[in-house]
Amino acid sequence: MANTEIVKGTSLWKDAWQRLLKNKLAVFGLIVLALMVVAVIVGPSIIYWINGFTADGIPQDGDLIKSFPPSLQHPMGTDEAGRDLLARVLQGGRISLMVGIISTLVSLVIGVSYGAIAGYLGGRIDNLMMRLVDIIYSIPYILLVVVLLSVFGGQNTPEWIQSLSAAFGGAGNQGLNQIFLLFFALGLISWLTMARVVRGQILSLKNQEFVLAARATGVSTLGIIFRHLVPNALGPVIVYATLTIPSVMLSEAFLSFLGLGVQAPYASWGSLAADGVKNIGIFPWQMIFPGVTMALTLFSLNFVGDGLRDALDPQTRKF
Amino acid sequence: MLSFIIRRLLIIIPMALLVITLTWGLIRLAPGTFYSTEKKLPPAIEANIKKKYGLDQPIYKQYLLMLGNITCRTKSADEEVRSGVQFSIGSLDFKCFDFGDSLKYPDRSVNQIISDHLPYSATIGLLAYLLALVLGLGAGIVAALKQNSAFDYGSMTFAMLGLSVPNFVLGPILVSVFSLTLYWFPPARFGGIMSLVLPVITLSAIYMAYIARLTRAGMLEVMRSDYIRTARAKGLDETTVLLKHGLRGGIIPVLSFTGPALAALLAGTVVVEKVFAIPGLGNMFIQSILNRDEPLTLGIVAFLSIMIMVFNLIVDISYGFLDPRIRYE
Amino acid sequence: MTRIRFIQFRSILAIAVLSSFLISCSTQASSKYFGQTKVPSDNILRYTTGSEPESLDPQFVTGQPEARIMMAIYDGLVEYHPKTMEAMPAIAESWELNQDGTEYIFHLRKNAKFSNGDPITAKDFVYTFRRGLSPELASRNANLAYYIKYSEAYNSDRSFVKNADGTFVRKADLEEKKDAAPQTTTIAPHDTVGTDTEFHKYLDEPERLSVPSDAKERAKLTDKDAKLKAAIEGKELVPVKAEDIGVEAIDDYTFRIKLYQPAPFFLGLLAHQFFRAVHQGTIEKFGKDWVKPANIVTSGPFKVVTHKPYDELTVTRDPNYWDAANVHLDGIEFYPLDEQTTMLNLYKAGRIDATYNHTIPAPWNETVRQFKDEYSLHPEAAVEYYSLSVKKPPMDKINVRKALALAIDRDALAKFRKTIKPLVDFTPEGIFPKYEEARRKVYTEELAKIGSNLDEWKARKFDPEKARKLMTEAGFPVQQSGSGYSCPSFPVDVVNLTYNTAESNQKVAEFVQAQWKQNLGITVPLKNMEFKTFLPFRSAVEYTGAVRNGWVGDYMDPFTFLNLFYSPQNDGATGWWDPKYDKLLDDANKETDEMKRYEILARAEFYVMQQQIVIPLGTSGTSWVKKPYIKGMYPNPGTLHPWKFVYIERDQNKWNVAMDDIMTTEDPQVEAQIKALTATQVEAQKAKTTPQPETQEKTKTAKAE
Repeated sequence: MANTEIVKGTSLWKDAWQRLLKNKLAVFGLIVLALMVVAVIVGPSIIYWINGFTADGIPQDGDLIKSFPPSLQHPMGTDEAGRDLLARVLQGGRISLMVGIISTLVSLVIGVSYGAIAGYLGGRIDNLMMRLVDIIYSIPYILLVVVLLSVFGGQNTPEWIQSLSAAFGGAGNQGLNQIFLLFFALGLISWLTMARVVRGQILSLKNQEFVLAARATGVSTLGIIFRHLVPNALGPVIVYATLTIPSVMLSEAFLSFLGLGVQAPYASWGSLAADGVKNIGIFPWQMIFPGVTMALTLFSLNFVGDGLRDALDPQTRKF
Repeated sequence: MLSFIIRRLLIIIPMALLVITLTWGLIRLAPGTFYSTEKKLPPAIEANIKKKYGLDQPIYKQYLLMLGNITCRTKSADEEVRSGVQFSIGSLDFKCFDFGDSLKYPDRSVNQIISDHLPYSATIGLLAYLLALVLGLGAGIVAALKQNSAFDYGSMTFAMLGLSVPNFVLGPILVSVFSLTLYWFPPARFGGIMSLVLPVITLSAIYMAYIARLTRAGMLEVMRSDYIRTARAKGLDETTVLLKHGLRGGIIPVLSFTGPALAALLAGTVVVEKVFAIPGLGNMFIQSILNRDEPLTLGIVAFLSIMIMVFNLIVDISYGFLDPRIRYE
Repeated sequence: MTRIRFIQFRSILAIAVLSSFLISCSTQASSKYFGQTKVPSDNILRYTTGSEPESLDPQFVTGQPEARIMMAIYDGLVEYHPKTMEAMPAIAESWELNQDGTEYIFHLRKNAKFSNGDPITAKDFVYTFRRGLSPELASRNANLAYYIKYSEAYNSDRSFVKNADGTFVRKADLEEKKDAAPQTTTIAPHDTVGTDTEFHKYLDEPERLSVPSDAKERAKLTDKDAKLKAAIEGKELVPVKAEDIGVEAIDDYTFRIKLYQPAPFFLGLLAHQFFRAVHQGTIEKFGKDWVKPANIVTSGPFKVVTHKPYDELTVTRDPNYWDAANVHLDGIEFYPLDEQTTMLNLYKAGRIDATYNHTIPAPWNETVRQFKDEYSLHPEAAVEYYSLSVKKPPMDKINVRKALALAIDRDALAKFRKTIKPLVDFTPEGIFPKYEEARRKVYTEELAKIGSNLDEWKARKFDPEKARKLMTEAGFPVQQSGSGYSCPSFPVDVVNLTYNTAESNQKVAEFVQAQWKQNLGITVPLKNMEFKTFLPFRSAVEYTGAVRNGWVGDYMDPFTFLNLFYSPQNDGATGWWDPKYDKLLDDANKETDEMKRYEILARAEFYVMQQQIVIPLGTSGTSWVKKPYIKGMYPNPGTLHPWKFVYIERDQNKWNVAMDDIMTTEDPQVEAQIKALTATQVEAQKAKTTPQPETQEKTKTAKAE
C-alpha cells in the first residue's frame, strides 16, 4: 500500500484532473471553451470559404450596407456596414481570448515573482514592495492606458511588441501593434492582485518545515522561492489565473465601452457588445450575439476556475 | 498590533504624495491639453492661457507649486483662497489642501466638485452594495443549505451570469425593457426613488454574484468542519448550529471582500453613471482624465487613493484575524 | 447532468424570449409619435444641449452646448433669426454701416435691463467687449473679435511704439515706400452720430505699429527683421490698453465698432455669445464666483434659478427682460447629457421635449424618420472631410490625392451614414444659396478654361475609373487582380487614416478604407486616437496620410469655411499654405458688392479644391427630434434656437407639421414676432436716404414687403 503511493509521487495533478472531471459544470465549461477556441481559430476561414464573408469586408453593393437580422446566410445577422456578424464575432473572439490569455500571462509572470519575493524576504523589503503595489493600485489605470497607448502608440511602439504582432501576421500594422500594447497595458494593471495572493500564500508557507529544511541544507534564496515555495503555491495561482482571464476580458470590454479599447477594423467581443448595445432597441442581434458569446465564454471560464479550485486546493475558499 | 496600524496609517501620507506625483507625471506625459479643442487656437490666445495657468513657468516650479497647494504652504496677504483650509501661526498665514480650480470648469474648485459629486456615487454604490448583501447572502445561505438542489444550481448559475455579463450590457437591457417598453422607471437621470431602481440593480448584479458565491462556499466549508460536527454531536438543534456557527463561516469571507469592494464601488460606478446619466464622481474622474483636467484628476486620485489604502489596511488587519498563520512584524 | 442541461437550456430560453420581445417592440412603429407623447402640465421646456457647460460666463465658453444656454440667459446687440440665423435686432433696435463697410453704429433700445433691473447701456457693451478681449480672461474665443481695431494687439499683450516727438510709429512706416499710401490718407466720410470723441479720431488715423510687450517675444521678431529693429530701437513702448480697442459708447444708447477692413459677416458674428452683455458690477464684486446662481446677473430672456452641475440647469423667464411680454415659455430645464442613447431613451420615455443636433445615432435614423412631425434632417453649416498631409509622400503627389478622393463613393457613404449629404466642394451644400449661385457661375468659367464642365466636376462624387488612372499616373500602377484591384507599390506601411474615437468616425473610416480597398486595391491602416491625444497630433500635421476633420461654421458666411486655409498657421491641418489663396480671400473681403464678393470667394474655393488638399466627405445634417407640441424651434443651419420664439402648443390639432416642411410652413405667431422685432431696423433703413451697402438681412426684409 505505502509503496504504491510513493511510486505515484506525481499523482497530485492526476488526482486533481480526476476530481475536475467529476465536476460536471467544469466539464461543461471545458467543452465550451474547447469548442470556442476551435471555432475562433478555424471559423473565419470556414465562413470565408463558404460565403466569402470576412470580418472587415464591407459589401460592394450599396444596398447591402445595412444591418440585416439573422438569416440562413448570416446566422447572426449583419452590422450597420453590412458585415457578417458571425465572422466578426469569431474574429473578435481571437482578440478577446488573446487579451485574456496574454494579459493573464503577463500578470502571472510579474505577479508571481513579485509576490513570492516580497512574501519570502518579508520585513522591510516586503513592506516596501507591498506599499509600491498599493501605490500602483491607486493610480487610475485608465490614465495608465491612455498614456501607454499614446506614448508607445504609432511610430514609438517598442521593437519587441512590433515583432510580436508581426508574428501574428501584422507586420507594420499599427492597429495590431496597438492591440498588443493593450494586452500589456492590461497585464501591467492586473498583476497587482496576483502579487497579493501569492504573497499571502508564501507568508503562510514560509515558516513550514520543508522551507526550514531547504534553508538548512543551504539552498539559495531564489532557489527556495522558485523551486520550493512557488510550486507549493501553484494551486491558488492557477485558480486565480483562471479567474483573471474573465476579469481581464471584462476590463478590455470596459475600455472598449469608453472607446479606449481595441481599435477598428479589429473588434473584440467587448467592443462588439459595446457597439451593439447602442442599437439594442432597433437591431438587438448586434448586442445579443456578441454579448451571449462573451457571457458564455466567461461563464465557462468561471466554471473551470471553480472546478480547478475544488480540484487543486480544496482548502482555500477565496472567490 | 496597534503600532502596526499607526505605522500603516502614517505611511499613507508619503504614499499618497507618491501616487499624486506619479499621476501628475502621467498627465504631463499624455499628449494634448485641457484647452485644446476642434478649433486650433491662435498662438497669442494660447500664450494668454499658458500665462494665466502658470504653464509658462519651469516644470519643477509648477510641480513644487502643485505640491505646496495640495499640502500646505504659506500664503501672501492678498491671495484669494477659494478652497482648502487656512490658518495662521504667529504672523505667518498658511493654507492647506487646496487642489485649486478645475481647468475645464474654471468657476468650480476641485474640493467643491468632489463634495458635490461624491454623494451621488455613494448613494448608488451603498444602495447597490446593500442590495447585493441582502440578496447575495440570502441566496448563498439557502444554496449552501440545500446543496445540489435545483435552487442551488439555479441561483449559482444566475450568479455566474451576473459575473459574466458586463454591466454596460445589463444596464441598457434593463432600460429597454423596464423604461422604454413598460415605462415603469425613468431611463436615466438622478431624481426620486424610482430613478434609482435600475442603476442600483445594474451595479449590484456583479457584487450580488460574488457575495452569493462567497457565502455559499464559506458556509459549505464550515458546515463540513469539525466544530460543526461537534456542535451537532452535542445535540444542538439544527437552527442554532446554522445561525450560531455556520453563518459566521459564511459571513467572514464576505466581510473581507467588503473593504476593497466598497472602495471600488465608489470609483467604479462609471459605467452605471454613464448609462444612466448620473452626476457621480466616477464619471467626473474619467472625464477629468479625458479632458486633461489636471487639478481635478489629482484631487480625485488623492481622495480615492487614500480611501483605497485605508480599506486595504483594513483587509490586511482582517487577514490577521482570519488566518492566525500570518504574523505582523 | 440532465438537470444542469435543463438549467442551461432554461437560461438560453430566457435570453431567446427576451430577444424576441425586444425585436417585437422595436419593429412596431404603429403609433403616430415616437414613444410617450404627453404635453407637460407646466409651461417649461425640458431640453438637452449636450455636455455640462464649462461655465456660465459667455465670454469664456466656446462649445455649441454652451452657446444654446448662453442664448437663453444673455442678450446681445443682435439675435439669430430663428430660421435663417441671420442677425436681427435685439438690444440694438437698429444699426447702420458706413460706406466702406468698416464702421458699425448701433442704436440701443432704452428699455433693456439686466436681471437685477439695471439698465443695459452702450457702456455695458464697451465693458463686455473689452472684458472678452482682456489677456487676463484668456478667452479662447477672443479671435472672433480680431476684426475690431487694435483688439488683437490688446489681446496678445502688445505695445505701441512712441516716437520722441510723441507721435506713434505706424505700420505703413515699415512698408516699402514706393507703393505705400501717402501718410495723409483721406479718411472715408462717416455717418457721424453724436459728437466725435478724441478717441474716435485716433482710431481713424493710419494704423499704428504694435510689437510684443514681452522682451523675449520681441527679440524673436527683431532678430528676423532688421528694419523692425531699427524702427523701434530706443523708443518708448506704450502697452495697448483696453481703452484702445475700436469700440466706443458715443452716448448711453449709441455704440460704435470700428473694423480694420470690411467684414460682411461681422454683423452675424455679433449674435455669438462672446458679444452678449454682462454686468460689470457683479463681475467685479464676486470675481470668479460671479456665475454662481446666487450671484449671477444676466441680460437674456431667462435668468438662472438653479445649477446642479452634470444634473440640471434651470432658468426661468426674467420679468426685467425688455421683450419679456413675448417670451412664451415660463422656463427651460437644461439637462447635461453625454450619451446619445441616453438622450434618445429620455426622449422616448417622454422626459425631454427636444434634443440638439446629431443626437440620433445613425442606425436609428430610419426608424425615427418615420415620425415625420418630430425628426429633423436638414443641411447644416458644417462639413466633414479628411485632411491630407500634403507635404509628405505619397500625399505630396496631387494625383494620389485626387485618386483617393475620387475612389470614395459619396452617395453610398451618405446612404450609409444617413445624416450627411454628398459633398465635393469645401463649403456645405444648401446653406448659402446665393454663394452657390455665384459659385456655379465661376466654376463654369474656370472649368471651361481647363476643358471641363460642371457635370464632370460633379462626377467627382465617385469615379473609380479615373481614380485608378490617376493613381497609375502618379507612379503607383493599379492592376486588376481577380474580381478586385491591387496596387502593390503604394506605400501602405507609411500612411494611416487617423480619426478620433467616436463611433461615427470609426464607421466612416471603415467605410472609406473598404472603398479604397475595393476601388484601388489599397488597404490604408486605420488608427484611432483618444480625442485630446488626437488634437495636437492633427493640428501639428504629425500624421502621414489622411486624418479626420470637420468644421462647424462660426457665422453664416462661406468665409468661415474658406478661412480654414488662410495664413501659414491655418487650421486645415494639411501643411498647405499658398499666398495666392490668401490674396483672393483678402480681395473678397474688400469687395462690398455681395455677389462680386461671393465670386471671388468661389474662385478661392475652386483654387483650393483643384489642389485637393482635403477630401470632402459630406455636408452634415441636423438629425434631432422634438415633440410635436414644441413650436417655434427650427432646424436652422447651426441648430441654435432663440428661445423667446419657442412655445408649447396645447391644441393637438395644430401639432402636426412635417419637419421636412417646417422651414416653409408659416407659423403666424412666430412670423408676427419676427416682423415686430425687425420693424425697428426696417424703419431705420427707410428713414435713411443714402443707399447702404446691402447686407443679407436688409435684402431679405425688403423682399418681404
